[in-house]
Amino acid sequence: MAEKLEDLNLPLTVVTRIVKETLPDGVAISKEARTGLAKAASVFVLYVTSAATNIVKNNKRKALTGQDVLEAMADIEFDRFVEPLREALENYKQAVSAKKMASGKKKDDNDDVEMVEEDL
Amino acid sequence: MSTPKPEKELHLPLSRVKTIMKSSPDVDAVGPEPLYLVTKVTEIFVTDLAKRAFKNTKSNLLEYKHIAEIVQEDDTLDFLREIMPRKITVRQFKELMAKKAAKGNESDESSEESSEEDSSDESSSSTTNPDSQNS
Repeated sequence: MAEKLEDLNLPLTVVTRIVKETLPDGVAISKEARTGLAKAASVFVLYVTSAATNIVKNNKRKALTGQDVLEAMADIEFDRFVEPLREALENYKQAVSAKKMASGKKKDDNDDVEMVEEDL
Repeated sequence: MSTPKPEKELHLPLSRVKTIMKSSPDVDAVGPEPLYLVTKVTEIFVTDLAKRAFKNTKSNLLEYKHIAEIVQEDDTLDFLREIMPRKITVRQFKELMAKKAAKGNESDESSEESSEEDSSDESSSSTTNPDSQNS
C-alpha cells in the first residue's frame, strides 16, 4: 500500500529516461518539464484505471482484465493507443504462455510479474 | 524512435504502478495482465506527450511550458489541466489570445519572448484583447 506520498508518483528518473530515449539525441529537458511529465504519467495511471474500472462496473463484473484496459482507451479517446497496446498484449500473452510451458504448472493468480529492470 | 531495444521490456516499475492503481477506491486486486497493460500504456502516453511537446520547442531544450501548451490545447488531456497549468505572463497570455483569434488567417509566428514568470494567470480567461490584429 501507499505509505508515503511519494509512492503514488512514478519515479522521476525512470520517466526521464523513457522520455530521453524517445527524443532525439542531445535534447535537454528542464527540471520542471521532467517533474511535469512524471506527474502527468502518474495521473494518467489513475485516469486509465478509473476508466477501466468503470467498464468493469458497468458489466457487473469484479475483476479488471486486460481487455478492459484496451476498451478504456476508446472511452478516454486515446484510440490511437489501442493498436500498440493490442500488440503489447499479444506479446505479453505469448511470453506468459511460454513461461508457463517452461515451468510446468504455475499458479495463474500470481500477482507480481517479475520484470528485469536495468539500472534504476 | 530509433532505439534498437526490444519493445517488450517495460521501464516503469510494475510495483509502483500497482500501488497507484490500488489507491483508487474501486480497485481491490490488480492482476498481472491489466497491470502490464496499464504500465505499457503509461509509457506510450508519456513518450507521446513528450514528442508532441518537443515539436513546440524551437531549441534543443524541452521546457515545462511546451508540455503545458499541449495539455491546454488537447481536449483529451483535460485530466491534466489542473496539475499542469500554463505559466505565462499576462502579456504573453494576451498575445496568445490574439494569436488564437487570428488563427485561420495567415499569421506567422510573431516575436515570442521566453520570459518565464511564475504568474500562473489563468483565472482571467476572458478574451479581452485590447489590440486586435492590425489588418
